[in-house]
Amino acid sequence: MNSSVEYTKKQLPKKLSQVGIALLILGLVLSVAAYILEPVRSAFNNAIMLMFLSSIGVGSLFFVALEYLGGAVWSTPFRRISEFLAAVLLILPIVVLPLLFNLHDLFHWTHLDVVESDKILSGKSGYLNASFFIIRTVAFYAIWILFFVLITRNSYKQDLSGDQKLTAKNIKLSAIFMPLFAITVTFSAIDWLMSLEPHWFSTIFGVYYFSGTVLAGLAAVTFIVVVLNENGYLAKGIIKDHYYSLGALLFAFTNFWAYIAFSQFLLIWYANLPEETVWFLQRWEGSWIAVSLALLLIRFLIPYFGLLSQPSKMNPKRLKTISIVILFAHFLDLYWLIMPTYSRDGFVFGWIEIGFLILTVGLLITVFILRSKNTNMIAIGDPKLKRGLNFRM
Amino acid sequence: MSSTDYTQELSVIVGRPALREIDDIIAKPLETKPDKKYYIALAVTLTMLGIGVVALSLSFYYGTGLWGNNNPVGWGFPIVNFVFWVGIGHAGTLISAILFLFRQKWRNGIARFAEGMTIFAVMTAGMFPLIHVGRPWLAGYLIPYPNQHSLWVNFTSPLLWDVFAVSTYFIVSFIFWYVGLIPDFAALRERTANKIKKVIYSVTSLGWRNSNRHWQHYEMVYLILAGFATPLVLSVHTIVSFDFAVSIIPGWHTTIFPPYFVAGAVFSGFAMVQNVLIFIRKIFNFEHIITVDTLEKMNKIMLLTGMIVGYAYAMEFFMAWYSGVEAEQFTFLNRALGPYAWAYWIMVSCNVLFPQLFWFKKIRRTIPVMFVIAVLINVGMWFERFVITVTSLSRDYLPSSWGYYTPTLTDGAILLGSFGLFFTLLLLFTKTLPVVSIAEVKAVVEGSQPSNGDH
Amino acid sequence: MSDKKLFGFTAIFDTPDEIIHAAKSVAGKGYKKFDVNTPYPVHGMDDAMKLPPSKLGYASLVFGLSGTLAAVLLMFWMSAVDYQIVIGGKPFFSFPAYVPVIFEVTVLSAAIATVLTMLIVYFKFPNISHPLHETEYMKKVSLDKYGVCIQADDTLFNEEEVKLFLSEIGGKEIKPIYFDDEEISAVKTVFEPKFIGLLIAVALIVSGTVYFSLNKLMFMTPFNWMMSQEKGIVQEKNNFFADGFGMRKPVEGTISRGEFPYQYKGDPETAGRLLKNPLLPSEVNFNLGKAKFDIYCSPCHGYFGEGDSRLNGQFPNPPSLHSEKASNWSDGRIYHIITEGQNIMPSHARQLSREERWAVVLYIRALQRSLNAKESDLE
Repeated sequence: MNSSVEYTKKQLPKKLSQVGIALLILGLVLSVAAYILEPVRSAFNNAIMLMFLSSIGVGSLFFVALEYLGGAVWSTPFRRISEFLAAVLLILPIVVLPLLFNLHDLFHWTHLDVVESDKILSGKSGYLNASFFIIRTVAFYAIWILFFVLITRNSYKQDLSGDQKLTAKNIKLSAIFMPLFAITVTFSAIDWLMSLEPHWFSTIFGVYYFSGTVLAGLAAVTFIVVVLNENGYLAKGIIKDHYYSLGALLFAFTNFWAYIAFSQFLLIWYANLPEETVWFLQRWEGSWIAVSLALLLIRFLIPYFGLLSQPSKMNPKRLKTISIVILFAHFLDLYWLIMPTYSRDGFVFGWIEIGFLILTVGLLITVFILRSKNTNMIAIGDPKLKRGLNFRM
Repeated sequence: MSSTDYTQELSVIVGRPALREIDDIIAKPLETKPDKKYYIALAVTLTMLGIGVVALSLSFYYGTGLWGNNNPVGWGFPIVNFVFWVGIGHAGTLISAILFLFRQKWRNGIARFAEGMTIFAVMTAGMFPLIHVGRPWLAGYLIPYPNQHSLWVNFTSPLLWDVFAVSTYFIVSFIFWYVGLIPDFAALRERTANKIKKVIYSVTSLGWRNSNRHWQHYEMVYLILAGFATPLVLSVHTIVSFDFAVSIIPGWHTTIFPPYFVAGAVFSGFAMVQNVLIFIRKIFNFEHIITVDTLEKMNKIMLLTGMIVGYAYAMEFFMAWYSGVEAEQFTFLNRALGPYAWAYWIMVSCNVLFPQLFWFKKIRRTIPVMFVIAVLINVGMWFERFVITVTSLSRDYLPSSWGYYTPTLTDGAILLGSFGLFFTLLLLFTKTLPVVSIAEVKAVVEGSQPSNGDH
Repeated sequence: MSDKKLFGFTAIFDTPDEIIHAAKSVAGKGYKKFDVNTPYPVHGMDDAMKLPPSKLGYASLVFGLSGTLAAVLLMFWMSAVDYQIVIGGKPFFSFPAYVPVIFEVTVLSAAIATVLTMLIVYFKFPNISHPLHETEYMKKVSLDKYGVCIQADDTLFNEEEVKLFLSEIGGKEIKPIYFDDEEISAVKTVFEPKFIGLLIAVALIVSGTVYFSLNKLMFMTPFNWMMSQEKGIVQEKNNFFADGFGMRKPVEGTISRGEFPYQYKGDPETAGRLLKNPLLPSEVNFNLGKAKFDIYCSPCHGYFGEGDSRLNGQFPNPPSLHSEKASNWSDGRIYHIITEGQNIMPSHARQLSREERWAVVLYIRALQRSLNAKESDLE
């Protein structure tokens, strides 16, 4: 047991949970109203919210698994935060429910009359049909939730016993989880994002969503870790060296996102095949141009130059700002991926979009608070904890 | 099976050798005459190189008709070999640059050697674009210099991007390698009694005097170079993949090529590095510096990248079906069942199936088995480039244009020669330069850093 | 020379902890011109010596961005200004396609510039000689010991004080280091004669090689093989043929693509009898005939076929096309005359296609009618 670790268990302030619940209720009201007034647009916004929460949930679980597999120690002092964030996976079945009853509004391939007359769509109807789609979604969530429960349960058990065998077990679970993660995240993206345009396809699409997912999980944990550390909720000893690793990863994955996005764009632009370019052309029509450019600026240029220098990667204020920018950028990215199918001539932005955004934030805060209630904010029993706190660059 | 104690950090260097010992062991090959085994090895590699040189000379004299390249498969062995060798080079940069950025100390024992391998692999790779243009003496036309034809190069062509990418990669890798060598040249300069060697080392060490004021800037430059080398390595193989992916040929035009090629490059590169290191550590008694833990970690990376490659195969296959594009669907069925099915199944078994053995710890830590698996990986990766290049070209859109590609003896001889060149350069490297970084290893030996943890 | 100039005093330490402690003490005492020598970088030494952070990052940024800018501007100028070629239907300045080259050039310029900055600015290359070279001290600190060196030109330097201080902080083998004679008079600039000489030599060798290979080697065997080829070139003498001509006439009876051999060569009577105008007298055909007549026929025949052309006097005037003889000719006869020529009038078969000739015939007929109009035509 890590007796020499300085940690006092504190509950998160009541004010935070009040804010969370308030946002949650406000968001619910707005989104229910939206569903009544504009069901199709709400379905699309619901999809954005779903994929955003998926990213946070499965991205955080990815981090936990990655730490176990890679044997990293620098992230051990705050791995528990990612475990809390991964709990978002538990509410995915609820968030997806309105959509599962409403696939028709979202997906063109559910319009069976169109599919019948379209050779290409009927060719893929073995994959793109409502029943298989639902089965897949259920399966993905089941796998994610299963591994979430198994891994975090061991981690909590270790708080009490400090048993090193639990770490070995989690390493095994993480090793099995990773290939499953790759497949489920890929097909989840193909199902919910790529099939919105059922004639379009791109083999790198799963990787594109993966890059956004990793960034979302990373940005979320960075923001929370910096804030909690500044207020003494975590163990003493998380210093600029730890921040630097988080900042460096944020920087590296921002570059990775840009690399994947550019590869996808360049190859389709270069070959100029109409069945592929149509997707990008849609995002260059009317006011969508502004959104595409905004994505480039907010998703790449700002985080890139914001985290370029060595000192900036260790600076808590900079990390907090850029994390929020990256989280917002992921939301924008999903908006850019999803909404053009709904409104082709230009982007729509109104109270509905804001409502779902509020609901998303409210859900995140509430889930985090519920999960962290009466629980240690750090994995106090983890054998790597001390090495993690002593980590120096 | 003994359980691991996660509270303790695994020591990178086994035992606690004195700093003096490290100098002695690493400098020993440079201070002793080569033995018979070395000469035999050199004879073998020089023979291979010689065969390649003969084949190349004949190719220059008689023309590229000596090769198997023809219609419709205009890209044959030269491109396949080029991509293969560039890929092997990537492991070196990954080990020295990326593992450095991730603060993985176990890279210190192998970084110098891996970087050397990168440089030699890139040199070997560079031969192929040069020769496959048919008239290599006109290669200067690839560089945008003002000329009397008033012509500029085509900046939109991926073949030109290759020129910039591979030359940048070579230059930056060389600089990175050289900067790492500076302190070692200084150490050798101080050690040597030989007058000629002293002059050489004094020049090459650029006056290095181990001053911490210099170490400070040196470490910053090293970090910056590592920071640049990382995206550079990714960009080089990405640009190589663009050679294929910007086209509209089925099986080539697929957006996943860039990360797929990069993962594949790391995969084959690590396999080659592991193979060579197994020999080096035995021959030069570096077993406590290049430990079985290091080899195990490399095998894990091979497992990871192998699975990424397998993921890419699956995605290509799925999207070919999903897209509904008949030509694409045919291409993938043709790969598995057509005239090149033999190559395809070698590729799949070597790249996807055999590396799965690395899930088992025992296999990861058993040297003969891991050696064989790594050899199979390299075979599989060569065949992957072969399958991609040749199957898509031999049967693309128009059935009346289909044709079977057969490589010639000259092709095979040049490939053999490329291995000869690579291994000859490696062997010469082991006897002229320290293959393990003296300064970096000293920095991670137990007890080499101050014990107080406060800042 | 016994009167050597003192550079400073050195001391040896055995462990990393000792050298960190020593460095802190030296910096703490206020010395500014001192250095620590270690065989590898020791963690925490920069802080212990109170060194300001390295500014090399700025060099990377500046040179890297310059490389980016240069690459963009150059590619823009070369592809969109100097020699524009449409490639693949893409615009002249296709930015997405330029990104790979821009990236590579950025990395290359940043990497080279940073290393050169380190060498020249910080390591003072090529003035790399230093009093500490070739000393026992240097041998030890390159191997397995750690050392401190306090320089004599430090403001606080006092020989006895320094020796005492160094032994107090645990230093062993405290020794003085002297300048070598040459080092005293060395002028510290980049323009070292040996170095400049080397640069000039490199420049000469490189330019010489390039000149030789591009201007001479390319024209030597075997590199010039494709320049002088065995095939026959049309405008040159060719000894393969008896008459020495490279260009050959086509075989007797060859007709060119689209050529239609004229059946009535030299036989205006039969042509006039058998050939019929295939064109309908439509407005389109009349307009075509008028256009071609005005171009090819009017110089001699005039615009109205009266023979009063603008070549009046320079060429013998043709007879009027409105003469009784001409009016009585059949369409086929007129067509034959245009095709073969008549008397001084040359053949116009090369200038007018068959269809165009028939259109001209139509127009001539219209002209003839216009000058011999009947009252009924006005209806």
